[in-house]
Amino acid sequence: MNQESPKMKTLSLFRAAGLALVLTGLANGPALAGDSAQAQYEDMYQQAKAAQKRAASVEGEWRDIGKFLKKAQALAKKGDYEAAFKLARKAYIQGKLGYTQALSQQKVDWPSYFK
Amino acid sequence: MLKRIITLAGTLGLCLSLATPAQAGPKEDLARFQHFYLKRFPGVPLKEFANGVYAIDKVSRENWEAIEEFPPYEPYVEEGKEMWNTPFKDGKGYKDCFPDGPAIKADYPRWDAASKRVLTLELAINECRQAHGEKPLKYKKGPIAILTAYIAWESRGKPTHVVIPDDPDARAAYERGKRFWLARRGQLNFSCATCHAQNAGKHIRADILSPALGHTTHFPVYRSKWGELGTLHRRFTGCNKQVRAKPFKPQSEQYRDLEYFLTYMSNGIPLNGPGARK
Repeated sequence: MNQESPKMKTLSLFRAAGLALVLTGLANGPALAGDSAQAQYEDMYQQAKAAQKRAASVEGEWRDIGKFLKKAQALAKKGDYEAAFKLARKAYIQGKLGYTQALSQQKVDWPSYFK
Repeated sequence: MLKRIITLAGTLGLCLSLATPAQAGPKEDLARFQHFYLKRFPGVPLKEFANGVYAIDKVSRENWEAIEEFPPYEPYVEEGKEMWNTPFKDGKGYKDCFPDGPAIKADYPRWDAASKRVLTLELAINECRQAHGEKPLKYKKGPIAILTAYIAWESRGKPTHVVIPDDPDARAAYERGKRFWLARRGQLNFSCATCHAQNAGKHIRADILSPALGHTTHFPVYRSKWGELGTLHRRFTGCNKQVRAKPFKPQSEQYRDLEYFLTYMSNGIPLNGPGARK
């Protein structure tokens, strides 16, 4: 016989619910709620704008940063802060990468295949 | 003893001078650049690189030769001639700005010592227009490409001969252009050299990557993809977008410096614009 006691059944249910919550969280990233979501988005947007400016200052801006930020603003206007946050974060990461890339190329010289 | 020290110091100095590589300048760069392509594509003469990918791929060349039987740029050359001969509102014309015209393509890009910048043909045309009270033309396509198509047509056969004068500012502009060409950029992390040197002649999807040698000889170009003429800086913009980098404005300092470097690298190759490309 493999019958669970009511106590065990309740525990299993809690475990399943917990696991579902964890998986949902992993799939969607940190959930943003209400005013806090708006604030978090706005903060990320400002950070992304700064990263974009920094990348541009060394001629390293990537093509889609501006597009991501524009789309993020449109989503935020509709109240979808979660999607807006994701796009702003993408723009922020690209800004940082573009800056690093441009710095790494400042002293570039003929590659080995030219020598 | 003193004699031995002097001899030792002299020998040491000679050894050091031999060990330190000579400072590479534009001339050394040019030799290195052209040697690379001549070695990569043996049997293709230097002048043939003016034909881009059609110099290195037989099938593409056959298609291109068929297109050239009725060149899609021909009507634009006629239109450009009309533009050249149409006087400005003040009664003057392009001939007043460019007395040696219209065959002046080989004179550009050049270093303008007075304004300390690279002067391209398109920039010179707009400065001429503005000096005579005309509106400047947009730099990517349309009238500027049409007018330069006529100038390029008239300049056909003249060799590319960009000069990098012995001027630190000119040399700095050349170096900036060279660095731009060599630097990886955009989300794809490609440089101009990645496609047009390291992988020149290889396929990127259905297309063959053209060699950079000769890249500047045939502009403005009629691209089937565009269905119209476009300038070299329009092509720069497109390339930068393709590697997912934010492009610079046409005739920006970045693209003028790039044009300066890239055209210098094709020195000796005859001009054959306007061209027809895929």
